[in-house]
Amino acid sequence: MVHNSHLSTLSSWTAALLLSAAGLSLLASAQVKVGAPAPDFQATASNGKTESLDQFKGKYVVLEWHNQGCPYTRKHYTSGNMQALQKEWTAKGVVWFTVISSAPGEQGYVTASQENSYLNQMHADPTAALLDFQGKIGHLYSAKTTPQMIVIDPAGKVIYDGAIDNRPTSDVEDIKGAKNYVNEALTEAMAGKPVTTSYTRPYGCSVKYAD
Amino acid sequence: MSVMRIFRCIVAAIFALAGSSVAFAATSSTSKLSSSADAAHVHVQLVMPQSILNRGESADIGLYFKLEPGWHVYWKNAGDSGEPPRIRWTLPDGITAGEIQFPAPKRLPLGPLMDFGYEDEVLFPMTLTVANTVKPGPAVLDAKVSWLVCREVCIPEKAELALTESIPVQPIRPTASGADEDLYKRLLSRLPEPTPANAKVVFQPTADGFRLAWQGGQREASAQFFPAEQNILNNPAPQAATPLANGVVLDLKKDPNLSAAPAQLKGILELADGHAYEIAAVPGTIPAAAPGANASGLVKAAGLAFLGGIILNLMPCVFPVLFLKGLSLVNSHRQERAHQRTHGLVYTAGIVVSFWLLVGALLALRAAGATLGWGFQFQSPIFVALMAGLLFFLGLSLAGQFEIGLTLTSAGGSLAQKQGYAGSFFTGVLAVVVATPCTAPFMGAAVGYALAQSAVVTFAIFTALALGLAAPYLLLTLQPAWTRLLPKPGAWMEILKQATAVPIFGFVIWLTWVLASTRGAFAVLVLLSLFLLLAIAGWILGRWPAKRVPSFAVGVVIVTAIGICIYGLQKFTAPVSTEENSTASATNSGAQWEPWSQAAVDKYRAAGRPVFVDFTASWCLSCQVNERVALRTPQVEAAFKKANVALLKADWTERDDAIAQALAGFGRSGVPAYALYTSNSSDGPTLLPEALTPGIVVDALNKLPAATAASTATP
Repeated sequence: MVHNSHLSTLSSWTAALLLSAAGLSLLASAQVKVGAPAPDFQATASNGKTESLDQFKGKYVVLEWHNQGCPYTRKHYTSGNMQALQKEWTAKGVVWFTVISSAPGEQGYVTASQENSYLNQMHADPTAALLDFQGKIGHLYSAKTTPQMIVIDPAGKVIYDGAIDNRPTSDVEDIKGAKNYVNEALTEAMAGKPVTTSYTRPYGCSVKYAD
Repeated sequence: MSVMRIFRCIVAAIFALAGSSVAFAATSSTSKLSSSADAAHVHVQLVMPQSILNRGESADIGLYFKLEPGWHVYWKNAGDSGEPPRIRWTLPDGITAGEIQFPAPKRLPLGPLMDFGYEDEVLFPMTLTVANTVKPGPAVLDAKVSWLVCREVCIPEKAELALTESIPVQPIRPTASGADEDLYKRLLSRLPEPTPANAKVVFQPTADGFRLAWQGGQREASAQFFPAEQNILNNPAPQAATPLANGVVLDLKKDPNLSAAPAQLKGILELADGHAYEIAAVPGTIPAAAPGANASGLVKAAGLAFLGGIILNLMPCVFPVLFLKGLSLVNSHRQERAHQRTHGLVYTAGIVVSFWLLVGALLALRAAGATLGWGFQFQSPIFVALMAGLLFFLGLSLAGQFEIGLTLTSAGGSLAQKQGYAGSFFTGVLAVVVATPCTAPFMGAAVGYALAQSAVVTFAIFTALALGLAAPYLLLTLQPAWTRLLPKPGAWMEILKQATAVPIFGFVIWLTWVLASTRGAFAVLVLLSLFLLLAIAGWILGRWPAKRVPSFAVGVVIVTAIGICIYGLQKFTAPVSTEENSTASATNSGAQWEPWSQAAVDKYRAAGRPVFVDFTASWCLSCQVNERVALRTPQVEAAFKKANVALLKADWTERDDAIAQALAGFGRSGVPAYALYTSNSSDGPTLLPEALTPGIVVDALNKLPAATAASTATP
């Protein structure tokens, strides 16, 4: 019975193969829940500084997912709507992070200097623009679209997650008269009231994560 | 000044995006509007199946999109991103337009996200109602349409479309039908139907989602649910389906931010056969999946599986492996009976365990959302290549290049003890692995049935299959009396052993062809290099047997060979496109086989032609046989031509979810499968058996309704 020994070596190989051919990795999806603690992150900003969420405990923090090529993002930047929100709320002590989760080669990917000149051109004024090319923060918060807005309260809890307003279009004309959920959430929370609308479907382009 | 600067930047940005920022497809309002427009990646058109507006009646109208490959528009619930098309009508007084209706969408995965929408083409029907009071004469139907079209990037687009219809004083009836009517009819079937009165749809909240049960009267292998409302479900989560005797249960994951269970679960439920229903599930009890209810089906399937397993022993892929087992049995039949029996049982265990592993892996991957079927491991080119390498190496050894262990003729009483049981176990494993592509004619239905059942039933059927495969050898070891019928051991065994290398090399040739036809010439180069290195390893083993240094060298050579093979295949080869494959096969034979898609099936049936679909794969041996002995014979080709049958080939050599879903729709899980559709779109397909003869195909074609044959005869 010559073959059993090499049959056994060779075929245990085959068995291993069989399973490895089937070994597809599965994506874990742990979505942030409104009311739950906001997970901490660290990222390099376009201004070269390293920012983390934890250093801003005690302050309101807004996360704004951004892709300058996305028509929905452009709706809020060409109209000046987003910049106005940034100015209004950073003046009231809110920390505003613009988060760019586009992977290299995808729409919306920018180098630090490209982002700085964009901020300058657009007169945008976030606290910092975070370069999240690996999509770490994006996946941590399950960001789906640009723009998507998340508001975190001084205790570090997520108090709003969703769309910027209630008009899910790319039409600049729809900004006027729209109900801005970020304004509403921050205004209510700062007045000590519970946030009426704390979760909506974000609208816009999909976040361009690496495949 | 800064305002000017912003303005300039915006203008520059818009031009930099190659004018695709917001594409206005319409002609300006001063010129005459057209009923269709071409925007970037999209053709959009107003379609009226019957170009008539009668007072006091209603008329159908549709908004049609034709999309470039890869681009899509969205369903009413676009999923995680996106936006549905919108239409704003400007109509003469007395004419009103109803709500836009959305056909059943497709799941469109996008990295970690899931959108719902349409690729290729889609029609959104609406109803126009014309009041009695409307003034006769020309009526302009003007529609401002806006939509978002996406591939990786998204482009919002707009168009203004208009149709001018004349309203007659007295109602007139339509006479001729045009292209619009054909288009409308063909795509109207994609609209979800209302839930039938006898169907019951209920849901039950679970810890992390919902269980949704559809009880429509018959067993459903699988289904997909599209939620009408946003923020209810976790869209990308796979929807695991469990068939019921009279329907199907889906396990849905909820949106983690959903706090209260909805009063109703509304949306579209699409069954495996493509039928879609508009559903509004109410809370209720989910019936238990009852495998016992179908006990006779289980017994029948298990019986078939057992029989199929026995027949597998004779398949060209398995026979050489079993032949070796047989030789060893002949050789050792004077040994103690107990050893023989234990070897037989261990061999059986090897077969059963590897079937379980294979089925377990398949079920786990399916539960995780992958659409796979039986034989899925052969869809991996690396698996095919390493399999070929393994058999080539085995062939070299059989042919006598090297020996590991003892030779056949040096039989001794202590042989069995020396061999250990691991050898017997792994012979079983090897038998299973090589057997999968040889799915015997009896097994297609059994495997399809098995994989659509609850896990317990699936395992029961595959255990029956495994026992069938093990049975012949096991019986011989259990009944030593029978081994006396086998010839006495002798030098003939060595000759026979060497001769066994021939079918093994034949098997290697076939695997090489599979790889070449799916991955191209470079893959063959990689594979042949693997063979060369393995031959060198074999030579070292033969020249310096059982020495430490050469053995180490052999190990290094083999690991290098495998490394090169995996790297080379992954890095430098890509799937050969199906078009190339199908052109090649079209030139080989007289008949024109086109690549399969559900759209192609619908298209030909709408055009009044019956459709024959050949579900095949290069790695499926019985598929190749059927194609040669039946489908490509002049007799059958002539019969196809006479019946004006459209021929479609669904090539499942590489993984393809659409094909896997279509197979599941027939209750099948693997190839071969042959489906014959009549031109009447309400008829289901007829499935032909897995083993074809020209007679079977011709008979099936003769049974097609005479109407189709007649209509093709008239010009």
